[in-house]
Amino acid sequence: MTIARTLRVGIVGVPPLSVMQTLTAPHIKVYDLDEPQGRIDIETASPFLPQVYCGILRTVMANSLIIRPDVIYIDIGPGKCDCAVHTATVLEDTLPKTRIIRTRNQDSTDFGTPLCTTRMDLLKKMQAITASVQSTTPYHSLQPCKAVAGFWGVPPRDFSLLSLFPDTTHVYGWARCMENKTPDNLKLELHYNPDIPTVFFAQSFCAKTALARHLATKHPHALYLDCDVTAGNSAKAKIQAFLELSGI
Amino acid sequence: MLLADFGTSYSKILDTSSTNGPQLIASRDLDRNLQVDIGTGHNGKRHCRHYVNELTALARGGISLIDAESFTLLDCGSRDIKYVAYSEGKIEDMGWNAECGASMGFTIELLEKYYDLDFRTIEVPATSFSVTCGVLGMSHIFDAVVSGSSEAEAVAKFVKGIAINAYNFAKRPQRIYLSGGLCDNPLFVSAFPCPVVPLGRFVLLDGLKASCEQLGLQ
Repeated sequence: MTIARTLRVGIVGVPPLSVMQTLTAPHIKVYDLDEPQGRIDIETASPFLPQVYCGILRTVMANSLIIRPDVIYIDIGPGKCDCAVHTATVLEDTLPKTRIIRTRNQDSTDFGTPLCTTRMDLLKKMQAITASVQSTTPYHSLQPCKAVAGFWGVPPRDFSLLSLFPDTTHVYGWARCMENKTPDNLKLELHYNPDIPTVFFAQSFCAKTALARHLATKHPHALYLDCDVTAGNSAKAKIQAFLELSGI
Repeated sequence: MLLADFGTSYSKILDTSSTNGPQLIASRDLDRNLQVDIGTGHNGKRHCRHYVNELTALARGGISLIDAESFTLLDCGSRDIKYVAYSEGKIEDMGWNAECGASMGFTIELLEKYYDLDFRTIEVPATSFSVTCGVLGMSHIFDAVVSGSSEAEAVAKFVKGIAINAYNFAKRPQRIYLSGGLCDNPLFVSAFPCPVVPLGRFVLLDGLKASCEQLGLQ
């Protein structure tokens, strides 16, 4: 009897569904390298990526250096970003024993966004959305709720800022594209609800800061917010005050 | 009822049962065991039973003091700067530079004492330093003094640089309502590139009064 060795696979961004379907075997352990994994210090990435760089990709680099996956699928298509293109090169040169596989996810089949619109603690909701990347089966339907607030943007590096929102917050932006398994869906990413106070969030040093700020200008009742690695007191105070002063 | 705004350098305390106005106390002289009913400010959480977010207190103070539906209210403190902007009665924008607003008030007070200056007698200079932070800004002052500028002129350029930073931070409004101790600094107030309406250093206390009403605290 032979026991299959566990294959450790890292994913960056949202790889195509066809890739994720190959990663469901029991001997494969998948690491979402975009998210902090345990207590890995983000400064681990500093010798390889500039400190003034997207906090998510610095996290990817730090995780990869410590976990040293056998394979990394890194999406470098329009559903991710140019920073990922260059991070893939750095990873390839830094981790010669890790196979770096570049993908360009342009899946266009809508999987649905039941999590984005249901009533749930926003932090848990975002965790469920990011976990949904690894699911390849159709989603269970969830009862949608009436939204009182909106969160537009990417899953933040520091999820703690999400704990300030009410449970009836709907999620928009790239996080919604993520749940829908269509990360390159600009039409969906541009969607927001003008009738509810909305925080437009982007990671500092991310190209999406331009879109977040632009949409916040168009939205009649919005707050633009960007944060780097951790959400400081001022960022949290802004969210709290915005929601309070909006009557939430 | 005791209300307090616990700032980095100064704390402002109001006893609503007294006819005396608010008290101004250097924060370093505060009784460590002081507890108030409702508070705000950088050092507030450990001193009060009910804490109000500083931006919320600022906004509510602005609403109670400013007779306009649309306004930008900028608070310049010792360590940070923050603003709220209202448009037609609704919150439109806000910002809080908590870590480095050039450590504005603190640095200006430090320079005033160090060079023994009287800001009431200093004119606004035609030009300003580019002040990205208090420490780098002070280097400009030292360089200017070495190059022959008077100390007062060099500090005035620094103060004007900080005023322009604050104006840009608040998104360059047509008029600024100003809150905080720097309202008492005529050089700073005059250095803004737009009309400034100084509201004094107790705006957040007015915000706390409004919060008390909203929360049903008596």
